[in-house]
Amino acid sequence: MGAVGEEKARNRRGIRGWLNPYHYNAERWAYVFQRVTGVAVLLYVIGHLGDTSFFVGGPTGTGPSSSSWAFISGIVENSFGHLILILLVLVLVFHGINGIRLILTEFGIVFRSPSAIEFPYKPRALSSGQRSLIYIGIATAVISAIWTYLVLFEGMG
Amino acid sequence: MRESRLMLLQYATALVAVVLVSIHLVMQGVVLPYSTAISFGNILSIYRNWIYAIFLEALLVVVLVHGFNGLRIILSELKQSRPWSTWIDIGTVVAVVVTVAYGTRTVILAVFA
Repeated sequence: MGAVGEEKARNRRGIRGWLNPYHYNAERWAYVFQRVTGVAVLLYVIGHLGDTSFFVGGPTGTGPSSSSWAFISGIVENSFGHLILILLVLVLVFHGINGIRLILTEFGIVFRSPSAIEFPYKPRALSSGQRSLIYIGIATAVISAIWTYLVLFEGMG
Repeated sequence: MRESRLMLLQYATALVAVVLVSIHLVMQGVVLPYSTAISFGNILSIYRNWIYAIFLEALLVVVLVHGFNGLRIILSELKQSRPWSTWIDIGTVVAVVVTVAYGTRTVILAVFA
């Protein structure tokens, strides 16, 4: 494969390219997780549309139905369903805070001014402030997931 | 719609979604105990409150537009060709319309039926 072919192949790695950790920095990992968590949350939302529709009797329902709601609650309100909710909160909170970081960087709010390239070739444009938002996102997500565990399994709230 | 406008839409829906989803989560386990929050009677009273019904509809639209537009962006980056872009644009619009319609049906039936 020639140089052009290799370049094309490198640029068309698709999802495999996201998941290859070689030479990734924190921002690149945050990019991968933003997409993975986004797809995961979208799948949950679609499922959540389905389960909440049972409040009105499901796809063929005609109005609020306590029996239909009890039926779907019996399926989703258990330890496995609550584990899914804890994971949802974990990825949702990370996705939200990291998304705010992306918006701030997109509009240049948390970027450092670029400067001449000097050894050791660290990207000057990436500020420690924007990177700390990644870690704040992870920490807040973990705390929120622990809170969710306490609410769902220990009856807090 | 131009790609730059669609990205602005993505950012705008993201900021609104952060607020709406935060309120939604706080309502389920902070304001009320979780078991009370998901009880049939409590949910019915929430749907029958106009402010919260409008809030749920806004949450539905904002989250689905953000979610499917985000998926469109991911798919756009995986492959570049005119037919692919056209199909995922059409698919995104159809997915948003169908899911918003289904969710809106739940809200309308819960409020009025």
